[in-house]
Amino acid sequence: MSLLDRKLLRDLRALKSQALAVALVMACGLAMMIMTRSLILSLETARDTYYGQNHFAEIFARLKRAPNALREQLAAIPGVAAVETSIAIQVTLDVPGLAEPAVGLINSLPERGEARLNRLYFRSGRLPLGQTTHGELAVSEAFADAHGLKPGDTLAAILNGTKQTFRLSGIALSPEFVFEAPPGAALPDNKTYGVFWMPYRELATAFQLYGAFNALALTLAPGASEGAVIAAVDRLLAPYGGRGAYGRENHPSHRRVEDEIRVLQGLSVAFPLVFLGVAAFMTNSVMSRQIALQREQIAMLKACGFSNAQVGAHYFKFSLAIVVVGVALGTLAGVMLGRRLVEMYHLFFRFPRLEFLLDTRVLFAAVFVSALAAFAGVAGAVRRAVRLPPAEAMRPEAPASYRPAYAERLGAARWFTPSFRMALRNIERRPVRGALTCLALALATAILIVPNSFRDGIGHVIDFQWDIVQRQTVTMSLVEPGPARAIADFRHLPGVVLAEPFRYVAVELRAGPVTRRLLLQGLLERGTLNRVIDAHSQQLTLPARGIVISGKLAEILHVKPGDEVIAKVLEGEERELAVPVAGLAEDFAGTAAYMELHALNRLLLEGDRINGAHLAVDGSRWDEFLRATKATPRSAGVVIKNLIREGFRKTTAESIGLLQKMYMLFATIVAFGIIYNSARISLSERARELATLRVLGFTRGEVGAVLVGELVLLTLVALPLGLVLGSGFASGIIASVNTETVRLPLVLTASNYAFAVLVVALASALSALFAARKLAEIDLVGALKALD
Amino acid sequence: MPPVEPSSLVLPAVEREPVFQVRDLARIYGEGTAAVTALRGVDLDLFPGELIVLLGASGSGKSTLLNQLGGLDSPTRGTLLYRGWNLGAADEADLTRFRRDAVGFVFQAYNLIPSLTARENVALITEICRDPMAPEEALTLVGLGERMDHFPAQLSGGEQQRVAIARAIAKRPAVLLCDEPTGALDVRTGITVLEAIERSNRELGTLAVIITHNAILADMADRVFTLSDGRIVNERTNARRGSVSELAW
Repeated sequence: MSLLDRKLLRDLRALKSQALAVALVMACGLAMMIMTRSLILSLETARDTYYGQNHFAEIFARLKRAPNALREQLAAIPGVAAVETSIAIQVTLDVPGLAEPAVGLINSLPERGEARLNRLYFRSGRLPLGQTTHGELAVSEAFADAHGLKPGDTLAAILNGTKQTFRLSGIALSPEFVFEAPPGAALPDNKTYGVFWMPYRELATAFQLYGAFNALALTLAPGASEGAVIAAVDRLLAPYGGRGAYGRENHPSHRRVEDEIRVLQGLSVAFPLVFLGVAAFMTNSVMSRQIALQREQIAMLKACGFSNAQVGAHYFKFSLAIVVVGVALGTLAGVMLGRRLVEMYHLFFRFPRLEFLLDTRVLFAAVFVSALAAFAGVAGAVRRAVRLPPAEAMRPEAPASYRPAYAERLGAARWFTPSFRMALRNIERRPVRGALTCLALALATAILIVPNSFRDGIGHVIDFQWDIVQRQTVTMSLVEPGPARAIADFRHLPGVVLAEPFRYVAVELRAGPVTRRLLLQGLLERGTLNRVIDAHSQQLTLPARGIVISGKLAEILHVKPGDEVIAKVLEGEERELAVPVAGLAEDFAGTAAYMELHALNRLLLEGDRINGAHLAVDGSRWDEFLRATKATPRSAGVVIKNLIREGFRKTTAESIGLLQKMYMLFATIVAFGIIYNSARISLSERARELATLRVLGFTRGEVGAVLVGELVLLTLVALPLGLVLGSGFASGIIASVNTETVRLPLVLTASNYAFAVLVVALASALSALFAARKLAEIDLVGALKALD
Repeated sequence: MPPVEPSSLVLPAVEREPVFQVRDLARIYGEGTAAVTALRGVDLDLFPGELIVLLGASGSGKSTLLNQLGGLDSPTRGTLLYRGWNLGAADEADLTRFRRDAVGFVFQAYNLIPSLTARENVALITEICRDPMAPEEALTLVGLGERMDHFPAQLSGGEQQRVAIARAIAKRPAVLLCDEPTGALDVRTGITVLEAIERSNRELGTLAVIITHNAILADMADRVFTLSDGRIVNERTNARRGSVSELAW
C-alpha cells in the first residue's frame, strides 16, 4: 500500500460518520434500483417460464355456445398454430367454514389427453377424474390457501340448479389466472372468488352443453398477424354469440402482470436518480470541505513532486470508498426488500415458482452510476484543488466576506437577532449549497407524501364504491337472464328488505374509430341501492333514452354528453344502434355504461328480463338469508359487499403498509444524512467562530443554536416546498397509473402533510442534536491562537 | 458560583481586595513520560483597576496562565480564587457563566464573527450579559463610532482588533484578558489598540491583563511579571504608569 493510500485510510477513519451518511443515502437509491430491477427480472423469468412450459395462449374469446365441430374451422384460420376450446361457467359455492356463499369459475378440462393450451401446474394432488362416484374438482391455489383446503377435502357447488358435493383432487395453477380476481375487480378476493377445473363431460352435461364450448384459446404461428386472426375468429364466432376475441395485451391476468412490471420500470429509474442526486451533492459537500482543510497538504504534495493526476486520483479514491460502502449496503438492502416484496406478490400473483432473482447486471450498473454520481460530486472540488499553485495553497484561505442578507436590505433587519442574521447571511453567501440542502430535505418530505396519498386515495375509493355507489348488502345473479317477475323470488328470500333488479348485456360501444367492449348495465331509473354517481358525488337519474358512461370511457371515446355512440349488442341477435350520451358517471375501476332497465330491454327487443338483483338484507336475519341463498338453485353467484370491501381493504393495507415503511426509512435516512453532514461541515468550517463564542461566554446550547440556526431556517423552507413537491409527485404517479382498469383519485389530507412534516422535522432535529454533540470536543484554547 | 457583581467593579485602584488570588498554581498536560509541565507553582494577587503585563518567551507559560485566569482551563494543582470563589474547582457550566459575566477576551487574531457587522459583533455579546453598555457606546469608546456597520472583511486589522476590544468591554467585565493584542499589527495600529485597552482600564476600572513578548509594553503597566519555564521569575512595580504614546517604540 502506498503511503498516500495509507493517508486515505486514516482520513476516511476520521470522516467515517460523514462518509457513512453519504453511503446510506446512496444505498437508498441503489437498494431501490437493485430491488426493482431484480423484481422485474424475477417476474419476467417466472412469467416467461410459466407461459412457455404451460403453453399460455395468445388469443382468447368467450361466446354463448358453439358446437365443437367449429374447432376445425378455427384451426384452419391462417396464422393459427393451436386451438383449445372449453367451457367456463360461474357458479355459487358452499365452502366449509365460510358462512357466506362464494363464487367459483369452473373451467372444463379436455376429455382426452392433456390440454394443448393453458395447461395446469399442480402444486399438489392430480387432475380430477371423470366418471367417479363422487365428482372431482381441481382448485386454484389462491382460493385453497385462503380457505386452508387440501386435496381430499370436499366442497359443494350449485351446478345449474343442483347442489353437488365435490372432492378436491388437487391444487392447481393456470397461466390464465396468475392474477386471480373476479372480472372487473381491481384486486383479488381469494376468500369469495376461486377458479376450479373439472372434466369436460361432467361440466358440459350439468349445463346441457355437451358437444359445445363457450371459451376459446389459441396460439399464433410464427409471423402471423394477431389482428387478422382476431378478426377471423370474430367472424366465425359471431353467429354463436361471440363476445369478441382479444390478445394477450387485453387478457386481465396478463395485463396486471405487465402493469406491475411497467410500474417497477418507472421506479427503477426515477427513485435512484433522486437519491443518487442527493448523494452526489453530499459527496461534493464533504469532499469540498475535506479538500479545503487539506489545502496545505495538497500544496505540500505538489511541491514535493506529486502530479495533478496523482493528487486528483487520491481524492477520487476517497469518494470511491464511499461508493463501495454504498453499493454493499444498497445491494444488501435491495435484496432484503426484494425478498419481502416477492412475498407480497404472492397476494396478487400466483406462479409455480416466483423467487427473488438478483439481477447481477444491475450490480455493475449500480457501481457505475453511483461512482458517476460520486465523481460528479467530487470533480469540481478536486479540479479546484489541483489547479491551485503550491505557493498559494500554502497560505491560509482569504477570510470570508459577507453582506447584509436580502431580507435585511428590505428593511426587516431590526427584527432580527445577531444569531438569526448570522444564519441568514451564511445561507446567502452559499446560495447553491443552501438551495441543494433545502431541495434534498424537500425531497425527503415529498417522498413521504406519495404512499399516504395512495392510502387516502384508496380509502376514498372504498368509501365511494361501497358507501355511495353500491349500497346493497349483496348482489345475486341468475345463471341466465330471467323474466322480470323473478325479482319476486329475490324479494321473498328471508330478511330481504329491498330488491332492485338489474340487467346486463355485452356490447361494443363505438365512437369514430375507437371501440370498447363492456357490459352495459340496466338499472332502475333512480335506484336506492346501486346508484350511478357523477363527478360531484350527485346521483344521476337514468333517462328513458340515452346512455350514461364512465368519465374515463368518454375520454377514451372522445365523446361528451349530447354526442352519440354506436352500441352493438354482442349477445343474442346482433343489433347496432345509435344512442345519445346522457351523462358521465364517476368510477375508479374499469369502464362502465348504464341505461335505464326498461330502455335497455327495449333496445334488446327481448321483453322485460333481468340478470339478478341488488338486495338490502336485514342484519338480524343474515344467517337465515345465507342458508337460503346457498340453496337457491338458479343463482349463479352471490356477491357480499362487506366481504369484498374487507378483502380489498386488507390487501391494499398490506401492500401500502410495506411501501409506507420503505419510504419512511428512505426519507429518514435522507433527512438525517443531509442535516448531519451539513451540521458537521458547518462545525468544521466555523470551528473557530464557534469556539470564540464559547470563550466569550456562550453556553454549549447557545452555540449549538448558532450552529444549527442555518439548518433550521433551511428546514423551515424545505418543509412546505416538500409538501408542494410531494403533492406533485403523488399527482404525477397517480396520473401515470390512471388506466382503463384502475384509477385512483388524488386525495391529499392534512394528516398526510402533518405526518411528512413530523418525520422530516424529527429526523432533522435528532440529526442536528447528534451532530451538535461534537461541540463538546471543540478546542476553546485553540481559538485564542493566531491563524498562522 | 457566587454572584459576579459588575457594579462592584467601579472601585478605586487602591482597593486591596484582590480580584484573583493565585497560590502554587500548576498545570501539567498529559501523563507519565508524556507529561508536559506548563505552569509549576505560580503565586500572584491581581487587584481591581490594575493594568498587568505578563512577559515571556514562547512556551514560558504565560498563555497557560491567561487560560487559567479566563476560566478556559482548570489547574492540576494549587489554588485559583476569583474574589474568594474557587475558580479552579468550578465545573463547565460555572466556567461558562464566569466567562460570560466577568471576563472580556481580546485575541491576537481578533476572532470576530465574519458574518456580523462591527455593531452586531458587539451586540451578540451584550444580548447575553446582565448590565452591558450599548454596542454603539463601546464602539465609540474604542474610536470606531463611524464604522459600526462594516463587516470584518471591510475593516483593517487595527479596526478589527478595536471591535474585539469593544466587544470585550461592552459587558463591563471585571477582567479584560488580552492575548498578544498587537501581535498581528504594525506599530501605529498597535498604539491605537493599546490606547483603547488603557482607556477602558482607566475609565471602567477593569483589571486588564496583557500577555506579550514585546517588553516595550511593560512601561504602560502598573505591574509587570516575567515568566520563564512555567514560573514567575521577576515581578516589577512601575512607580508611574507610562501612557501608550510615551512608550519607546
